[in-house]
Amino acid sequence: MAQKRKRKKRLYQRIRENKRLQSAETVVLPVMLGIAIFLLWQGGIVHQWFHTDVFTLPLPTKIGSIMGDNIDKILENTFSTVSVAFIGLALGCILGYLFAVLAAVFPRIGSGGLGIIGAFASIPVVALAPVMNNWTRDLSKEASIRSMASKIIVVMLISAANMSLNAYRGLTEVKPFSEDLMAIYTTKKRVVLWKLRIPNSLPYVFIALKVAVPSSIMTAIVSEYFAEYITGVGRQIRENIVLAQYATAWAYIATACIIGVAAYVLLMVIQGLTLRRYH
Amino acid sequence: MRKKTQKWMRMLGVAALTAGMLTGCGTKAAESQGGGAAADSAGSKTTGESAASGESVASQETELSSEAVIRAAAGDGKVGNWGLGNEYEVLALLAKYDLPVEYLSQDFTMDGFDDDSITLASAMTYNELGLVKNDYDGGYGYGDTIGIIDMNDEGVAMMEDNIFCTKAFAAENPETVKAFLYASLKGWEYAVANPQEAAKICYEAGSSVSQEHQSYMADEVAKLASTDTKGNTVTDIGNMDDDAMQQTLDIAKQYVTLDDEAANTAFQSLTLDDIRDKTFIEAAKSSDGTFKPEKTEVSIQLKWLPDAQFMGYYVADALGYYKEVGLTVNIVSGGGDIAETTAVNNGTVDFGVTWETNLASADAGGMDLVEIAQIFQRSGLVLVYKPENF
Repeated sequence: MAQKRKRKKRLYQRIRENKRLQSAETVVLPVMLGIAIFLLWQGGIVHQWFHTDVFTLPLPTKIGSIMGDNIDKILENTFSTVSVAFIGLALGCILGYLFAVLAAVFPRIGSGGLGIIGAFASIPVVALAPVMNNWTRDLSKEASIRSMASKIIVVMLISAANMSLNAYRGLTEVKPFSEDLMAIYTTKKRVVLWKLRIPNSLPYVFIALKVAVPSSIMTAIVSEYFAEYITGVGRQIRENIVLAQYATAWAYIATACIIGVAAYVLLMVIQGLTLRRYH
Repeated sequence: MRKKTQKWMRMLGVAALTAGMLTGCGTKAAESQGGGAAADSAGSKTTGESAASGESVASQETELSSEAVIRAAAGDGKVGNWGLGNEYEVLALLAKYDLPVEYLSQDFTMDGFDDDSITLASAMTYNELGLVKNDYDGGYGYGDTIGIIDMNDEGVAMMEDNIFCTKAFAAENPETVKAFLYASLKGWEYAVANPQEAAKICYEAGSSVSQEHQSYMADEVAKLASTDTKGNTVTDIGNMDDDAMQQTLDIAKQYVTLDDEAANTAFQSLTLDDIRDKTFIEAAKSSDGTFKPEKTEVSIQLKWLPDAQFMGYYVADALGYYKEVGLTVNIVSGGGDIAETTAVNNGTVDFGVTWETNLASADAGGMDLVEIAQIFQRSGLVLVYKPENF
């Protein structure tokens, strides 16, 4: 009986219970999935599934070699896109948070105002970008500067809307007992805001960022389509598709994916460091 | 109940405030536009005076202008084009005068030209130029006050609208290709001879623009289809002129840079014979109009929204030319980001309308396309400017 149990443990349970293997599993399985997708793609099986050809969906090795050949040009365009996305994101988040604080301090006007901010979030970039192009036209004589400003404003508006809606929830949905406690102490409104509401909103800020970071990159890429000055990953995707250069377009699509993933990982690391005391 | 009304009142209040702010911005913009218009009229006044001061001066000015205007606009960095494969003629023009080959990205309106953020703007003779000149709905009403630089006169013309299909389709369905060409060219011939009637047909077929603009377009498109780059009349509609096509390919090779090394090498080694085939149009021209098409239901992908730019196909359809050769043709609208080369290459449609450069770069990238007729015999691209800006 004892032997039987021991053997059972050897076969399956030991693997299950081994913590090291478990943690390895969380890395190995996704990597294996990635390799499987790569092989299916490279082997042309994916093309069969989607009834497409290596022309419209080029092989990963081809995409990789183009990325390698044009690394300078790709980095230049990446820098342009990333700087627009991050400056816009930073400005938008600050603006959105300030608006949420205002709304939390003056809830009567605030709740109505947030509705309008929410409406901003749902304006499509394709509609917003040309409007901002016209608006920033007199800003500078340099097309590169005014076109960057107009892209930043679009990203800013979209991220501000996102941030203010989430931050407002964090600032107002505090635990009832803490609010009661503050009331018992007859704390001033300013102190409640500083000691209770703002710390409480921090996790919500990260919820907002999880949406705002990818969407700021997407917005930057789409607004590049309409920009006066020709630069950026999004613009390159479009230029190359029009010339039927799918492999090059895919090289830029892959670049956009890498930017998105890198930004998300960075955000997760910052969140882990900042929110440690919440867990 | 009262609380609810209060809340609604507050919401309304905030909404009114924002609306007020927005309209405030609007009036301000309108004001500044008004100011701009005033400045414009002042500008035209001065040009009027200078014109009155002496005809010899005026003629000297116009003779000088082309190069001077290009130099001045390029110096300010205010030359505009849409990019996306439309820019090579402009790049070649800038290079011709040893200027930096840079341009501003123009959107699909002429607002940038109107507000002077682009002083030398791209326009197609049959579309944007009409909007700039005319004062019908959507037009800017500049009339003949604007100056025009023609790519054909500057020697940097590139060939635009053609008819193409894949080499495989042409090899498998030669009779269909001949029949389609025969009927389409017949449609184009009729449209070129009767542009106003063609405009009406296009408008009724579901046009994307107003009837007035449509009739303007038809006149200009007729000119493009029946005049060559040197200004001579062409009676042979659809002819693939070797010199014009070679010039296009040469300019393209100079200014198109493909990041894909393999494609770029292939592009540089392309010859005219790789991208066009004259046998079908020759067979269609010498035919008596009876064909045995292998495929009777075919489609053609337009490069842009349905309008008189493609009047030949609409005329051939409306007047039954396609039916006469035993074909049913589906005309597929393009626009925005439609990549006509891709649509034809993957078999979504059988024929397409594109520009020679797009076709050449697609073939260099690995597509299997061939041009079978050249509809526009000269470049439709011009650069427009307001003389008072220079």
